[in-house]
Amino acid sequence: MVRFRRPKPFEALADGTFRVRLTPDVRRFLVRLGDEIGEIVTLDIPETRRLFPTAYPNDPDKDAGYRILARDGLVDQRQTAADTLRATADNEILTEDELAQWMSVINDARLVLGTRLDVSEDDEPDLDDPDIGLYLIYDELGYLLDSIVKVMVTALPEPDDDDDPLNS
Amino acid sequence: MGAPLELQDPELVTDEVVDEDRPWVVIVWNDPINLMSYVAYVFQKVFGYSKEKANKLMMDVHHKGRAVVSSGTRTEAERDVNRLHGHGLWATMEHDE
Repeated sequence: MVRFRRPKPFEALADGTFRVRLTPDVRRFLVRLGDEIGEIVTLDIPETRRLFPTAYPNDPDKDAGYRILARDGLVDQRQTAADTLRATADNEILTEDELAQWMSVINDARLVLGTRLDVSEDDEPDLDDPDIGLYLIYDELGYLLDSIVKVMVTALPEPDDDDDPLNS
Repeated sequence: MGAPLELQDPELVTDEVVDEDRPWVVIVWNDPINLMSYVAYVFQKVFGYSKEKANKLMMDVHHKGRAVVSSGTRTEAERDVNRLHGHGLWATMEHDE
């Protein structure tokens, strides 16, 4: 008998950096994802709307103002993350900042894919679904994202209990 | 931009001034895509909340559909909303009624 396991794709190291264990194929795929997001993020299409949410649902004027101001920064962030991923794609070791940008590409890819697939919380596609390939990718990205989150939380500084905006 | 303040309707001017000073709340909404672990992490990262507090807020979003995650002036709230949008969360802001 054998116990199913796979090597952890990301590992926090003692010096505050992170080790990446991914095959070249997966790394290449993530670079492609980043590049695609970097391209489509400038387009106003249904798949990218989720990347630019409303800020003022009750005030169209304020919201229009916010969107104009916020747009460039949000586009820039995504394109920078794609650039960072491409530049560090073959690294065995990443800094926290670099890993945060890998995380951003993967999360944005999930947002775009999830929007395209119109997922709901209890989605369980069957193997006959024509979109099954995309679902499998979406699922795998979820696994990678969760793996990154698990190691990033270990790098968070101690919480600032005195500075609580909600005051509770 | 609009006319100088002194030429505007005094009522409008008053509303604008009051608008900025009244507290605003930042709300995060549930969505079927974001991972619970990721949302909790973002709350810790952006607001410096403890793991317990971040998890509680995340569970509120998950079970109740939305949760207030921070409050402040309009500028502060907009900054928080923008940071949350940058992390892919669905965040909005409104007056704290």
